Formats: sequence, C-alpha cells, structure tokens
Amino acid sequence: MAILEAEHICKSFSRTEALKDISFSLEKGQALSIIGSSGSGKTTLLRCLNFLETPDKGVIRVNNEVLFDAEDPSTRQESAIRKKRLHFGLVFQSFNLFPQYTALKNVMLARELLASEQADYKARKKEIQEEIRAEAESLLMKMGLSNRKDNYPHQLSGGQCQRVAIARALALKPDILCFDEPTSALDPELTGEVLKVIRELADDNTTMVIVTHEMAFARDVADHVIFMDDGSIVEQGDPIQVFEHPAEERTRQFLSKVTI
Amino acid sequence: MKKWITILLTAAMVLSLAACGNSGADKDSGADASSGADSSDDSSGSDMEYVKGKGKLVIGITDFEPMDYKADGDEWIGFDADMAKAFAESLGVEAEFVEIDWDNKIMELDGKTIDCVWNGMTLTSEVTSSMECSNAYCNNAQVVIVPSDVADKYQDKDSLSDLTFAVEAGSAGEEAVENLELEFTSVKAQADALMEVAAGTSDAAVIDSLMAAAMVGEGTGYADLTYTCGLNDEEYGVGFRKGSDLAKALNDFFASSYEDGSMLECAEKYGVQAAVIEQ
Amino acid sequence: MGQIMEQMPIVVDALNVGFLQTLKLFFVTLIGAFPLGLVIAFGSMSRFRPLSYLSKFVVWIIRGTPLMIQLLIIYYFPGLVLHNPIWGGGEAGRFLAASVSFILNYACYFSEIYRGGIQGVPVGQEEAGLVLGMTRSQIFFKITLLQMIKRIVPPMSNEIITLVKDTSLARIIALQEIIWAGQAFMKGSHGISGAIWPLFFTAVYYLIFNGILTMLLGRLERKLDYFR
Repeated sequence: MAILEAEHICKSFSRTEALKDISFSLEKGQALSIIGSSGSGKTTLLRCLNFLETPDKGVIRVNNEVLFDAEDPSTRQESAIRKKRLHFGLVFQSFNLFPQYTALKNVMLARELLASEQADYKARKKEIQEEIRAEAESLLMKMGLSNRKDNYPHQLSGGQCQRVAIARALALKPDILCFDEPTSALDPELTGEVLKVIRELADDNTTMVIVTHEMAFARDVADHVIFMDDGSIVEQGDPIQVFEHPAEERTRQFLSKVTI
Repeated sequence: MKKWITILLTAAMVLSLAACGNSGADKDSGADASSGADSSDDSSGSDMEYVKGKGKLVIGITDFEPMDYKADGDEWIGFDADMAKAFAESLGVEAEFVEIDWDNKIMELDGKTIDCVWNGMTLTSEVTSSMECSNAYCNNAQVVIVPSDVADKYQDKDSLSDLTFAVEAGSAGEEAVENLELEFTSVKAQADALMEVAAGTSDAAVIDSLMAAAMVGEGTGYADLTYTCGLNDEEYGVGFRKGSDLAKALNDFFASSYEDGSMLECAEKYGVQAAVIEQ
Repeated sequence: MGQIMEQMPIVVDALNVGFLQTLKLFFVTLIGAFPLGLVIAFGSMSRFRPLSYLSKFVVWIIRGTPLMIQLLIIYYFPGLVLHNPIWGGGEAGRFLAASVSFILNYACYFSEIYRGGIQGVPVGQEEAGLVLGMTRSQIFFKITLLQMIKRIVPPMSNEIITLVKDTSLARIIALQEIIWAGQAFMKGSHGISGAIWPLFFTAVYYLIFNGILTMLLGRLERKLDYFR
C-alpha cells in the first residue's frame, strides 16, 4: 500500500507554471529520486509536500489520510497544517541549522517544543528531557558526529552540518524524509560522507524522497526514479529502466548531458 | 509668533491626520472667535475664574537674581517671586513657579502651561502686543558691556559705531542696537551675550542694568568686563494671556501694596527699592 | 583656577541633579522605544496593506522632522490649539511630554533597525522551523529573535549613544537636564553668576556615561560572538 499519494498537483507563481498536473505515489520503506535540470519544478514539488508552498490544485494523502485538498478549505488552515507537516521531514540544500544552538540542541529543539505542549510535560519534565537527549545523542552517533555534538554550526564543515540537519529531521520520526539537493552546497570532497549517511538510511528502509543532481547516487539508492522537465513528470519507473533504457527523448537528452 | 503657530498647526495637522483631524480643523478656524461658553477658554475674560478653579497660579520664570532665584534650598525667592506669592495669596490660590525657556514664553502662556510671566520682563512692543500686561512696577535700562581695559573709549552712544554687538534675541537690548543701526548678532540669552564678549567673538553686549550690576565687574564671573553707557530707559511689567482679567487684578494689588508700604519693604530686601515705580 | 575649585562643589551638585533628569529621560525612552519600535517594525512589515502604509507614514513623519519640532508640538499643541493643556506646566508634565516625544521618535528609528535585523535573518531559518512543526511564535522567540539581536546590536549601539546626547534637546520645553543646569551658571544660579565653565564641564558627564555604555554594548556584542 502506498504511504504517500500525490494527485494532480498544480502550482503557479505569478508568471510561470512551476508544476503541471503532477501525480505519483510512494511505497512505505522505499526511496524515490527526483531528477531533472534546474528549474524543472523538483524543489517546488518537495516544498509543496512540506507545506512551504500551497498547491493551487491537487490532493496529497499520507497513509490514506487526506492532508491537503485544494478543493477543501478546511485542509488549508495554518493550525492544522502545523501537525500535518510532522508527517514529513525536510533536509535543505543550505542546511538551515540554527546558528545559536549546538549540534545537539539543533537536534533536540523541535522535540522539546513539541513535548512542552504535552499534558503531562510538567510532571515528567526531567524524564522527558532525558529521553529526548538520549535519542538525539544516538542520532548524532549514527551520523558519526558524537564528538561534535557540543560544537556550533559555524565550527562544523558543510558535510558535518548536513549530517546534523539530517539528524534534526529524523528526531521527529517523520513518515517520509525529504532531501532537497542535499549535496549541492558542498565541496566535492564532502559529498561522499553525506551520501553515505543517506545510503545507510535507505538500507534501513527509511521512506525517502530525494531531489538530487547526483545521478549515480540516484540510480544506486532509489527504488523509483522520476524525471521532471518544465514542471511535468516526463518519465518514471525503476532506476535501471529510466537510466539505462529511457523511453522518452527528453530523458535521453538530459542523461546525455550529465555525467553519471 | 503668528508664523510660529501657523507652522506648528500645519505640522500638527499632518501628524494627527486621522485622529484629531476634525477637532483640529474646527479649532483652527474658530480658535480666536470662540465664545465664553467654553469655560476653559481664556479669551472669554474668565482667566481669573480659570486660575481660581484650579487653585494655583503658575508663574513662568527664569533663574534671574535678584528677581527670581534660589538662595539656599528649594524655594524661589527674589523681588518678583515674593510679590508673586503675595499676589497669589490675595487671590486665594497657591503660587507655583516653573522655569521656562525664555524664547517660548508666549507659547507657554497661550498653551496654558503657565498663567503669567513675572521675571523682570521689559515691556517691549513685542511683549505688550502679545500679552496682557500689568502696569510697570520697576525701572530698568539697557547698558553697554565692554572689556574693562577699553571702557574709556566707549562712554557715549556716538562712540559705539565701530563695535560689533551681541544681544539677546527679542530683547529690549536688540531693539536698542537696531534703532541705533549698529552691527549685532542675536544670541539665545543675555548670559550668552556676555560670553560672546568674554570670548572676544563680539566686541560688546547690551543687557539689563539690573543684570549687569549682578554679573559683571569685580567679584563676579566676568571680572574683566564692565558696563558703560545706558542706551534707553525701560520698565518691567508682568505679562498675562491676552485678554486676561488678571492684569487688572494685579494693578489693584500693586496699588494697595505700594500704598501700605509692603511693596517697598519687599524691594529693600533685595536691594531694588530705587527702581520701584510709584503705583 | 582657585575660583573654579571654590565653585566646584556647588556646580557639581547642580549638575548631578540635571544629569539625573538626563538619565531618567534616557532610560524611560529606551524602556518605551524598545517594544514600541518592534510593534512599528511588525506594522510596516505587515501583509495587511493599510497597516503597513500607516506604519511607514508615521516613520516618515517622525524621521523626516526634527525632534525639536516634535517636542514643541507635543508639548504646546494641546494647550495652544485644542485649549486643553493636558501636560500642565509643572516639571512632571514637561518630563512626561518629553518622554512621549522621545519614545515616539526613537521607536521609529529603532523600528527601521529591527526591520533590517528581522529581514536580515535568512528565510531558511523560518522554513526550517516550520518543517519541524514549530509555531510562528516559537520560531520568533526561539530562532529568529537572538539572530536578529546579534544583527542589530551595532546599529542600536549607535542610536543609544546618540540618544544620550539628544536628551539635551528636551530643554526646549524647559526640562531641566544637565545642559540647562550648566547654562544656569552663566546667568546666575546658586549664588554663582557669569560662570561659563560649568556648561563645558557637562561634557565630562556625557563622556563618562557614554564610555560606560560603549563598554557594556561592546561586551554584549562579544557575548553574541559565539555564533555566526
């Protein structure tokens, strides 16, 4: 059963049509790669899933629950959206770590704020905070950053920052983890460590949507690939089929221009 | 002064665009002609009632020995201050002294932040045209201040033509040098005029003789300055809001206190008895 | 010189009283203008057009006219034009009117600094907070605020030091701050007349106080240096 279903998503900015009738679905435990040239609408699609943009048309369902329906205004309320966002995690191209907090605090902050809204927070404050801290530390360990947890973002390399950002997104245990070109802001020698972490997540059957320019990575890691061009899905299927035997001329052209 | 109010009005209208646009416009056109129906309006001749109603007479002053000043402690004393206290007492109200910026005295009066100006104020045409003034109660003169070492050269009016003067803006001294067609600079206060001479930025200053007696010559802060000739004689009066009935009340008060000797007694206390004018 | 030493204790006493008034106006202005400036900043950044136009209009008026004129209008306008001298003639009323003028004036300058500070925080910070399920107020207080403070400390320090000196403008409505107190000795006060030096001596007070402020603000700036 599909964990994520997006149907007929359309989104226009003042002059341009960024997304034209996008539909796709994703199975639980699978990794989806979205490839395509800059300006093809990949990032906009990811931002729509995370409610950073509001689609003009379309429906988004997670676990058969309608999170967004352009026809139904009740799904667009700010207060409702906040909880729905928690189904998704998003890792940004430029990390967007909070500079005034240590790596550990970056991972803990959102969990702490959510926990403080719990009814029994005051009574179990210490216990809850210990739990959050322990989980955050184990996430950083998983990212290979145990010895960096008390550093501030400006003291970390780009690759380390991005790994903290991944831990931060994982801390909220999202159903679907989204990556928006996670290695594009990194020096080439630093992309490897980030890709390695994402690969490990894929091996653990984390459900993921990855927008990337790393074609080899997309091919190796993804269970499913979508090629977008000019706001539309041109071709989708399993990686071998899309990369080795593209059905569409536009896909062929794109793949011939990028090195794998 | 009119120009000032116009500028203020214009700016204030812009400032209070939405909030008091309506009331502002009403008052603007009707301020001068408004009737006595409004008890807070001063032009109706009910100023006495207004002052009695609030139970105090607010007296605008500057620190000016021997008229209004503080010796020891917090209380204002001086010939003017003591007379003002007695006048307030005769009205059955409290006297409250407020130091003001001398340039703004008319605005303070019209804006009702003070009720009178009682501070050795020379009755110039500017003063008498914008305030309701009492009878003159004290004589004064404007005198020329020069450095002591050159004082011999400037003992009469005709010798002054090659000097540059510093005078207080809007003062009787300014009027005097203007009439004599002398070269002058207007400064903010009489004290500033003295500083100009002391600093050499002006050759001479013109200030009140009462003030000159207190401030220049041996034993003062301006030991190197002295005063020479007087330019014109003038008189001190007390200023109220235009149209106020308090001016007449004060004239009556001056007359009775001159008669029973209390005015002269007060003047002797501060050494100005020679200048007091018969009421 | 001997005369100055004789006058010194009297002058210092009077200047202290004046400087207390200067300090009072300074602190009251800061306490009022810090939050009001934030309100105006949010107003001018509001997506509700009339509110943002109104805020920008107020900022234009206040920043476009001299503080001295604002003091005169706020103090004298109610009595002169509305025939209702709301401030009264006493010292407390003058202080209140001066406070209102200064708070309004400085709030407008602060609002522009705040606006720059808020807009200088990358939009990605807010988005990161949003996708982590934070509310707008959590994002502001937990994430944006401190980054904004870090950005505004240097320009704010400038304004604060200017404010110390600007308080002297309040003497136009006869608020007896330190310059007024210093000038009084020229004309005669406390039995001293014709003394020019007290006026110049007030500069020492400003220098020392601004020195302390500069040090404190510098310390705050360094304190926020732990992140970038």
